[in-house]
Amino acid sequence: MLDLLPILTSLAWPFAIAIAWIAGEFGQRWTGLPRISFYGLVGFALGSPQLGILPLPDIGPVSMLADVAFGLILFELGYRINLHWLRTNPWIGVSGLAESLATFIAVYFIAGAFGSAQMTALMLASLSMATSPATVVRVINEQRSSGQVTERVLHLTAQNCVLAVFAFNVIVAFWIFRTFEDLGDAIWNSLVLLAMSILTGAVFGLAVPALLRGLRNPRQDATAAFALAVILLVALSYAGGLSPVVSTLAFGLVARHRRVAFSQAQRGFGALGELLTVLLFVFAASTLDWQKVAAGSLLAAVLVLARLVTKTAGVMAFSHLAGISWRKGALAGVALAPLSVFVILLLEHARLAGVHVVEELRSVAAVTMLLEVFGPIIIQRALVWAHEIPEPRPEASHAP
Amino acid sequence: MPLEPFTQSTPLTFGVELELQLVSLSDFDLTAASPDLLHLLARKPFPGNVTPEITESMIEINSSVQSTYPALLAELQEIRDTLVAAGDQLNIGIAGGGTHPFQHWSEQKIFPKARFEHLSSLYGYLAKQFTVFGQHVHIGCGDGDNAMYLLHALSRYIPHFIALSSSSPFVQGHDSHFDSARLNSVFAFPMSGRAPFMLSWAEFESAYFAKMERTGIVKSMKDFYWDLRPKPEYGTIELRVCDTPLTVERAAALAAYLQALCSYLLERFDEPPVEDDYLVYNYNRFQACRFGLEGAITHPKTYETVSLREDILATLNKMEPYAAALGSLDGLKHLALAAAHGSDATLLRQQYEQQGSVEGMVHAAINWFRGERRFRRR
Repeated sequence: MLDLLPILTSLAWPFAIAIAWIAGEFGQRWTGLPRISFYGLVGFALGSPQLGILPLPDIGPVSMLADVAFGLILFELGYRINLHWLRTNPWIGVSGLAESLATFIAVYFIAGAFGSAQMTALMLASLSMATSPATVVRVINEQRSSGQVTERVLHLTAQNCVLAVFAFNVIVAFWIFRTFEDLGDAIWNSLVLLAMSILTGAVFGLAVPALLRGLRNPRQDATAAFALAVILLVALSYAGGLSPVVSTLAFGLVARHRRVAFSQAQRGFGALGELLTVLLFVFAASTLDWQKVAAGSLLAAVLVLARLVTKTAGVMAFSHLAGISWRKGALAGVALAPLSVFVILLLEHARLAGVHVVEELRSVAAVTMLLEVFGPIIIQRALVWAHEIPEPRPEASHAP
Repeated sequence: MPLEPFTQSTPLTFGVELELQLVSLSDFDLTAASPDLLHLLARKPFPGNVTPEITESMIEINSSVQSTYPALLAELQEIRDTLVAAGDQLNIGIAGGGTHPFQHWSEQKIFPKARFEHLSSLYGYLAKQFTVFGQHVHIGCGDGDNAMYLLHALSRYIPHFIALSSSSPFVQGHDSHFDSARLNSVFAFPMSGRAPFMLSWAEFESAYFAKMERTGIVKSMKDFYWDLRPKPEYGTIELRVCDTPLTVERAAALAAYLQALCSYLLERFDEPPVEDDYLVYNYNRFQACRFGLEGAITHPKTYETVSLREDILATLNKMEPYAAALGSLDGLKHLALAAAHGSDATLLRQQYEQQGSVEGMVHAAINWFRGERRFRRR
């Protein structure tokens, strides 16, 4: 009987991924909601603090696979970003800065009002600036949406990620030094880390397309080459203490802008991406503890709402200048709601790196749980209301 | 509703409609961008006119009624610049070309407008497969009888316009080996093809249209998808066989050629058209679609086989005095160069060879459409 335990433990992950996939397929069919919401629910339910089917997260193959899954998504996001556009239409970047800053300020004060320590409030504020690329890219791909809301959400998500990584690193460094004299150093360190991450990603972005061209077969599907490169880059980033978020984003961005021969990578990395996405969302939700979620739920609800308001107002304020209607501006702001996977992975790595302030961020667990389930639904609704998702229409079987 | 009377129009005035592709700049596939683009364009006065098309990844522009080639060219260039500037603001690539080389019809969204919804439910996948991009040229005829005469006299020259405008070699990711694959999609529609042979407007109205209307199959001229069709409300005939060229300059030159041809035909020097001219019509049309300028056509009167390229160059030569009188010699020169060096279809195939991918070809098409503006960005 005792021999059964290790066997059951080794079955836990494959079992969880299979359950989540089935729940996603049926859930999507019955409710029309995005599959990833169901992956998150299954992951949370099976997590160690809840049903206890899944082991506690640690540095193991699953956590590494989750990082790779996230890396693939960030690469794809980078590959869809057009820097020329941000130059031609600067109001998009401006609206992104405005909504991020407004979110930072609002969350900082709300957390303070709820009695959080200054450092905790600052961390919460910096994390809240982000938008989770995992949810955004998955929902956009799953729904095959296209239009200005879709385009702007992708571009603003990339910008928000870089801003959040920068601010979070500044605050972590500041927390380590504990004095205001060292704030300059903290900012400098964070900037150097960003620059090094961008540089590493950019080297990959130049080298991989060059290699593909060297193979003289640009008509061949380049999915495998890009996927391998992302895996390598993620591993290198962790080994070198760089930000894998920024490096994989930069890789995608440079690969897109430096291509001379166009190589077609499958959208979402095909079946590989599909599979790793299930794992990523199950893993992320399995790290949450229901007690912490319950403890921080009131603050979390207020934060989620405040963030919705600031992001919507920030994007909407510049929407006319940026060339879209107020309505689409508002919907693009609403669609920036997803947050969870990005925050969970960032905190998980901070925790493993010995930044123990993470334990104080109880309300983060509740915020991420809320958005793990509702983030995909919110962005899906925003895209539906923007009429950017193709609606299946019954074709007449005879002439009307 | 009976057919409206044929509006009197100034002979040889003309106008151009172009259906254009809206392309995503991240993967170069078609993107459903027309609602956003139309929203932005509505903020400022637009030179000419811009309207939605049946799927959201297309847009149609049309010029005003013009009487000279330079004025038409200037207006099309202004329209092009306005569109490109709006596209830049919204991250949308705009391109000519009769087909998008790798779009999938099943992924197209129908633009929410009653007529398009009706067409979509009637024709099913044909409507989405109709995500093809054509140039239509309207030409003023004076009166209905002139219109019917031109409609049939021009049939002999239809292959010229197909070959000179051909820009749709690729379909669903592969080379179709047609220079204009677009017309194959048009042929799938039951009301496509050519107009019935009648030379008087009164006869067309009473003997043909009224009967057709009684069958219940058609309600207006809009329900016919003929290669050449009369438009009584404008007092024009409309040439519908051209692929949208890769540049507005080529579009204006094609219109100039049609104007010069009509000016020549209205003098009625040529033997008048007869029903038997149509014996060779479909085969000549096929030759032009399949082989473009390399095709061979059969003369409808003499049954002599001639190279399409030679026939075009000879006709352009013959039209010079008419073009000189109309101020459109530059337009004809532009076409003579194209006939000698190869059509847009040839250009696209060359790009495919150089770039090694269909995406590279679309990227090149976007840059060609930009014209001078392409130098403002990499």
